[in-house]
Amino acid sequence: MSPWPFRRALPPGAVRSEASEIREEIELYLELRAEELVRDGVPPEEARRLAEERFGDVARIEADLRRGGRPGGWERGRRVMGALGRDLAYALRTFRRSPGFAAVAVLTLGVAAGGNTAIFSVVDAALVQALPFPRHDGLVVLEGYQNVNGEKAVRWASAPEFRDWRERSRTVSLMAAVGQPTLTLTGDGQAERVDGEVVSEDYFKILGVDAAVGRTFTDEEQATPDAHPVAVISWSLWQRRYAGDRSVVGRTIQVDERPFTVVGVLPRGFRGVSLDADVFLPMSMISVPYGSGILQSRSARFLTVIGRLADGATPSAAQAELDGIARDLAAEYPDTHQGRGCLIQTFRDFYLGATLGSSLGTSASTTARLLLVLLGAGAVLLLIAAANVANLLLVRAHARTREIVVRRALGAEAGRVARQLLTESLVLALLGGAVGLALGAWGLSLLVRFTPDGVLPAYTTPSLNPRVFAYSLAVLAAAGVLAGLAPAVAGARVQIADGLRDGGRGQVSGGGPRRLWGAHVFVVLQVALALALLAGAGLMVRSVRAQIAVDPGVDLHGLVAFRVSLPRTRYPSDRDITSFSRELLRRVRETPGVRAASLSSSLPFRGGNTGTFVHTDRDLGTPVRVWYHLVSPATLQTLGARLRSGRFLDPGDASGAPVVTVISEAMAKRAFPGENPLGHKIYLGRDSTTSNGAEVVGVLDDVRYRNLTEDLMAAANSPDVYFSLLQIPARTLEVAVRVSGDPAAAIPSLRKVVAALDPSLPVYQANPLVDDWRAQTARPRFAAFLMAVFSALAAVLACVGIYGVLAFSVGRRGREIAVRRAVGASASDVARDVVGDGLRLALAGLVLGVLLALAGGRVLRGLLFGVGTTDPVTLASVAGLMAAVAVAAAVVPAWRATRRDPAEALNTE
Amino acid sequence: MSGSDLFTGTLDILILRTVSASPLHGYAIGKALRDGSEGVLSVEEGALYPALHRLERKGLLEAEWGRTETGRRARFYRITAAGVAHLDAEATRWAQYSGAVAAILGRTSR
Repeated sequence: MSPWPFRRALPPGAVRSEASEIREEIELYLELRAEELVRDGVPPEEARRLAEERFGDVARIEADLRRGGRPGGWERGRRVMGALGRDLAYALRTFRRSPGFAAVAVLTLGVAAGGNTAIFSVVDAALVQALPFPRHDGLVVLEGYQNVNGEKAVRWASAPEFRDWRERSRTVSLMAAVGQPTLTLTGDGQAERVDGEVVSEDYFKILGVDAAVGRTFTDEEQATPDAHPVAVISWSLWQRRYAGDRSVVGRTIQVDERPFTVVGVLPRGFRGVSLDADVFLPMSMISVPYGSGILQSRSARFLTVIGRLADGATPSAAQAELDGIARDLAAEYPDTHQGRGCLIQTFRDFYLGATLGSSLGTSASTTARLLLVLLGAGAVLLLIAAANVANLLLVRAHARTREIVVRRALGAEAGRVARQLLTESLVLALLGGAVGLALGAWGLSLLVRFTPDGVLPAYTTPSLNPRVFAYSLAVLAAAGVLAGLAPAVAGARVQIADGLRDGGRGQVSGGGPRRLWGAHVFVVLQVALALALLAGAGLMVRSVRAQIAVDPGVDLHGLVAFRVSLPRTRYPSDRDITSFSRELLRRVRETPGVRAASLSSSLPFRGGNTGTFVHTDRDLGTPVRVWYHLVSPATLQTLGARLRSGRFLDPGDASGAPVVTVISEAMAKRAFPGENPLGHKIYLGRDSTTSNGAEVVGVLDDVRYRNLTEDLMAAANSPDVYFSLLQIPARTLEVAVRVSGDPAAAIPSLRKVVAALDPSLPVYQANPLVDDWRAQTARPRFAAFLMAVFSALAAVLACVGIYGVLAFSVGRRGREIAVRRAVGASASDVARDVVGDGLRLALAGLVLGVLLALAGGRVLRGLLFGVGTTDPVTLASVAGLMAAVAVAAAVVPAWRATRRDPAEALNTE
Repeated sequence: MSGSDLFTGTLDILILRTVSASPLHGYAIGKALRDGSEGVLSVEEGALYPALHRLERKGLLEAEWGRTETGRRARFYRITAAGVAHLDAEATRWAQYSGAVAAILGRTSR
């Protein structure tokens, strides 16, 4: 408190007050205030703190006074923060006063934000997160294909084709080929089927992967065919089968009953380009799983090719170059390369498309679009939630007109009131965000748990990472601003004079009509958006139902299937295979509960389809691409497939007898249009000089082997033909068993049958066939389910919105309603009016919503089956549903309107 | 934006009226405001001081150091002639508002 000697010398007002005097002045206030508080009963030790708290920000006020009321830069920042703090505190106090309102608003935003968080983390995992390779930038997959009437029909490349691509391409600097066999591990422990990869040199180099223990393959090991039986295993197989024992390197293991020396273990998490491989063999050992000679055949197409783009090369440049190479090859090898091409995809596109290779389209863009549609649905839901909260705030702001008028009268600037109202909505959004994050985490765990296999790429691990947080925060902030903007503007517009004028009339509706009009707009928007979402969900559900309704051509119920694969080493000849097959069938049929059993090379929805070219005696010049199935005679009866004409293959169609074939209806129409195909001949292979050929002895109703949605008659899709297993034996056998009772329960006894016959033969992919069928619709069902959840929430929110506005208007129009009742309107007149108001709002929303749905349906194009994007039935039913929701929302306010006692309503004013 | 805009205008008049009878120090003014018009200082009691200094700067108030009845050094504020004139003008205008505000406030408590 030292007096400043020069103070008097300064002109008055130059320095407002010296700092210590200001402090002294404030200090006195605080002391006296504390004394007052003590007199009021506050404990002395509390009093000082409380006095300061009441005073506000002591340091800031002091600083303001020192500058004579002109805040400086730093101080201004502090003051904005202080003002923000006050706004926040005020907002929280307001919510405490009306917890119901706050709870509804927070929950509304929270549910919507939770849905968005969950779906975004899935989108993030599939589209943004890194692939499980150290460096996947510049990595491409080169897929060979057959151009069939403009469609890319056949995947894979032959080994000579791969070598030609590798030698001729400049844009792809490194290329490697990968075969993906299923291998049998025996010798050490239980016999086991594992997924394997047979890889050419540069495979590990391209992927940037080295062994975690030991090494990968040397050039020498890759160079000489069949000379170096070495293998590299995955980390997970190492842990699972060999308990992480480092001495496994150098040990000999049995792969397909041949000794292989393990030379390395790959890093944790790396399962090859197939994402599920456990055993890796060098390309030089390809004869073990595939037989010899396969690397020389131009028509044996079974390889996936990966590559790394040369520096500066783009995928499109590589595509152009490979198109040219494919044309050259077609000219050089017309027999095998006519119509062949090479499709270049980035790794991400490849995985997005390939892992979802089920029913509807297999392209990356389809998957990405489906995910983006869901993300968009989430955003629409959030928009509806924001509109709902905006409405709540508007209606509340209306009720708070008095408060706003008073604050304006006390000197608050319009901007300040708007800021306060905006702060309130942002606080709501933040609280909603917290709830949303919790709900989102919960929703995500449910989503991850219940997402069927194959819906998302195998490497995806949806998680709440920083990107997801940022997204949720951004959408919530947007929702908060959207929700708060209209009420804030309306609040700022409140004119003191309005409030006062209305006050004089005893009616509080300052700026009311305008703001209620705003609420109506929001309700209409909500109804429209909810309707559009419902329409989307409806279309997707109908699409799923259409897929489920597709006749698979077989009777799936009571069928169980498993697979066995006979190793070359112990079953070298066709006769070995046939005798094993016969004995297996005999024993399976003797198993209690088994009604029928058959063997085949493939079964519906279980993969393993083999494609080939045939031609017919009707049109020798044109090869027809077909899927061929090798089946035992009992297949017809076991599967419940339907014979259309002729006969099925029977036990007489054995080796030595003339080769015969049964064709599908689609094949009959394709190859023998307008003719009876029975008695015609089919020749396997492209070459029309093939000997004998097989006589068509029967036509089978189409069986859906690959998916439920392809149009079997479409030119791009290949029809099915059947040959007898007794005439063309197969090593990998699907065993179909029809049982009485639960098919899943039959699996253990079936395993025992196989073990009794050959203990070292693994039984794999054992499951009821209906599971494989169900997996076909997993992705559309998943998407439709999410869409249904989103749209149901949207409908509920729209319902709340309609209810809120009607309830408010009934409350506000109490007097008017009372007057009408007094002059003779009946309760039902009043109720009809309220419901009518609701329906008028809903109708406007419905019209807008139908337009939105018609326009927005376009995003579903290509994602639907058996239903158009503008399906009138769906639109009509969801519009009806939404109208019913509107009526339901109007019922309570209408009932309340009729319950008002006219006399009381008139008196309260 | 100067001072606490919540009180701009209103608070000034209330202060001028409070000190119009006799010079008072800040705490006494604050106490009178708190006792008299409910809740005007409820957000931040310290907002009083920027208002006092602003009024002083405008020449509506003048201040000098003196002693309280308990002998503590305090800064006393006294209304000036300009202050009295301002108060009269504003009081007339404010009377219209305050009546209306009171009417509204009265109706809030159902």
